[in-house]
Amino acid sequence: MSNSTELPLFGNDAANIKLLKAALDSSISGVIITDNCQYDNPIIYCNKAFEKLSGYERGEVIGRNCRFLQGNERKQPAREAIRKAVGLGDPVTVEIRNYRKDGTLFWNELYISPIKNPEGQVTHFIGVQNDVTRRKNAEENLLHERNMVEKKVQERTRELKENQEYLDSIIQTIRQGLLVLDPDYRVISANDFFFKTFKVEKRDTIGRSLYELGNGQWNIEQLKTLLEQILPTNNPVLDFEVDHEFPHIGRKLMLLNAHRVELEGNFKDRILIAIEDITEIRAAEIRKDDFLAVSSHELRTPLTTIKGYNQSVLRMLPPDIDPKIFTMLKKSAGQVDRLHKIVTSLLEMSRIQTGKLTLLREEVDLGVLIADVVEDFRESNPGHHLSIEGAVSRPVMIDESQISQVLYNLVSNAIKYAPGSAKITLALSEVSNYAKVSVRDYGLGISIEDQKSIFDRFFRVSSVQKHFPGMGIGLYISAQIVRQHGGTLWVDSEPNKGATFSFTLPLREKEEADG
Amino acid sequence: MAKKLLICDDDQDIVEMLELILEGNGFEIITETDSNKVYGLILDLVPDALLMDLWMPVINGDEILRLLRENISTSKLPVIIMSAAQDGESIAQDAGADEFISKPFDVDELIAMVQQMLRKSS
Repeated sequence: MSNSTELPLFGNDAANIKLLKAALDSSISGVIITDNCQYDNPIIYCNKAFEKLSGYERGEVIGRNCRFLQGNERKQPAREAIRKAVGLGDPVTVEIRNYRKDGTLFWNELYISPIKNPEGQVTHFIGVQNDVTRRKNAEENLLHERNMVEKKVQERTRELKENQEYLDSIIQTIRQGLLVLDPDYRVISANDFFFKTFKVEKRDTIGRSLYELGNGQWNIEQLKTLLEQILPTNNPVLDFEVDHEFPHIGRKLMLLNAHRVELEGNFKDRILIAIEDITEIRAAEIRKDDFLAVSSHELRTPLTTIKGYNQSVLRMLPPDIDPKIFTMLKKSAGQVDRLHKIVTSLLEMSRIQTGKLTLLREEVDLGVLIADVVEDFRESNPGHHLSIEGAVSRPVMIDESQISQVLYNLVSNAIKYAPGSAKITLALSEVSNYAKVSVRDYGLGISIEDQKSIFDRFFRVSSVQKHFPGMGIGLYISAQIVRQHGGTLWVDSEPNKGATFSFTLPLREKEEADG
Repeated sequence: MAKKLLICDDDQDIVEMLELILEGNGFEIITETDSNKVYGLILDLVPDALLMDLWMPVINGDEILRLLRENISTSKLPVIIMSAAQDGESIAQDAGADEFISKPFDVDELIAMVQQMLRKSS
C-alpha cells in the first residue's frame, strides 16, 4: 500500500477519503449510493448536490429506497428500464419524473451504475442525478409547438378540403354549364351539367382545346371572336347569345357569360365560361307570344260584331227615344272600347317585354298630333278644360300611333286622377335637340316613393287602387314607347299638388329636315 | 247603279253585321264565309270592291290578295283588308291592299273608307 501514500487519492487513509468526499460534495450532480446487499436496497450515501436537488437532508434519505422520489407516479416507463437494468446488473441512463420534498416536480436524468464484487455480484448502485427540467420543458414545449403546428396544418387542410368540396357541390348544383379554360383555351375543368347537356365524356374533355371538343362542335366563329378578341381586352362577355346546331344534340340557343381571371397568381388569365341553355325558355316565349297573338285576335273578333251592332243601333234609334236608353247604349259602347284597349295593351306589353315592338317611324308634326288628341278628349270629356301651350319648329320622326297612345295614356290619367279638378295643361317646347311634351294636372299628386315605381309593370299606387280601377300598365307601356323612340318619360309631383308627366322625343336634324 | 261589294270573312256574325250596315248605305252586298270560294266568286261576279278578313281557314286573305294582284283582270280591284291581328296592317300592305282597317273598327270610318275607295277607282 506504499503506492497509495505516494499518489494522492489512491489508498484508504483518512486524508484520501476526506478528499474524495469533498470532491463528491463539490459535484454539481447529485450522487447517491445504495447498498444492494441490504433489504430493499437502501440509500447509504448522498452528496450535497443531491440534497440541493431534492430538497431532502441527508438524514431524511439514508435507509430509504430511492423510489420515494417518484411521489405517486409509480407507473413511469423509465421505471421499467431501471428494473430491467438492475436485474441484469447493467448500467442505465433514464429520464424520470421525480418530486422534491416540497412536492414540486423535476426531471431527473439518472445514471445508474452497478458495483460488482470479484464474484460478479452487484453489491452497490451508484446513482448520478442531474436536474434536466429546463431542457425537458424546452423539449416538451418544442414538441407541443410542433404538435400544435401539425394540428393547425391538418385543420387548415381539412378546411381547405371542406371549402373545395363545398364549392364543388355548388358548382355541380348549378343548372348551367361551367367551363374553366387555360389561356390557350384548353379545358381545365367542367361541371357535370356541362357533360350532361352537351353529351360529352369527362375523359374526352379535360385537357383538350375547347375548339376540338366533340369533333369540333365548339368551333363556333362567334365564340372564337368573344374569347380571342373581347376577353383579352379585360371586358367580360355578358349574356351573349349563341345559336348553334350541334351534331348530336341538335340546335341549341345558349346564353354565354365569360370572364378572364385578372388577379395575379396561380389562376391568372384562366377563362371562366358559364353556358346557359335557353333553347326551351326561348321556345316557351315564342309559344307565349303566339298564344297572346291568337287570343287577342279571338277577343277582338266578337268585339267587332258588338261594336258594329252597337253603333248601328245608336244610329237607328227613333228621335223620340227615352234619353235613358240612348245613355245606356252609349255607355255600353264606351265599355267595348275600353275592353278593346285592354286587349291591345296586354299584347303590346308582351311585345315590349320581348323587345318585339317595332316602330313605323314617319315625319310627324307633334303640334298637330297633340291638337288632335286634345280635340278627342274635349269631345268625350266636355267638363274638363284642356289647354295647349307652346310649339316646336321641327317635325319629329315617330311612330304616330304609338306616341298618340302615350298622349292618350297621360291625358286620361290626368283626368282620372284629378277628380275634383277640371284643368289640364299640355305644354310643348324645344329643349336642345329634343321636343318636350308635358301634361299637367292639378289632382292627387304622387308621393316621392311611389314616383320610383309608377313606371313599373302592374304597379298601382296603393292609396288609389281601390278607388280608381286600372291594371298598372299604361305608364309602363308609355315609358317603354318613349324610350324606344330615344326619349325619356318622367314625372314631377307632390302629394295633393298635381302631377306633371313630361317626355322628350329627338327632333329631326335641321339638315335632314331641309334636305 | 249601286256598287257591288264582296264581303269575305269566316266569322258569320261579322259578315251579317257588315251586310246589314253597308246595305243600308246603298251598296249591293255579296257575302262569302268560305275563303276557298272567294277567288272564283270574284272572277264570276266581278265586284267593284272587296272587303276581306286576313286569318281564315284553308286560305288566308293575303294569299287570296296576292292571287288577285297577279291576275291582270283583278289586279286593280280595290281591296280593304280588315283584321284583328296585331301585325295585320303590315301583312295587308305587303300583299297589296289598298286600305287596312283593324278590328274592332268604327262603322262610320269603315263606310267612309269604302266610299272613298270606290270614288277613287271609278
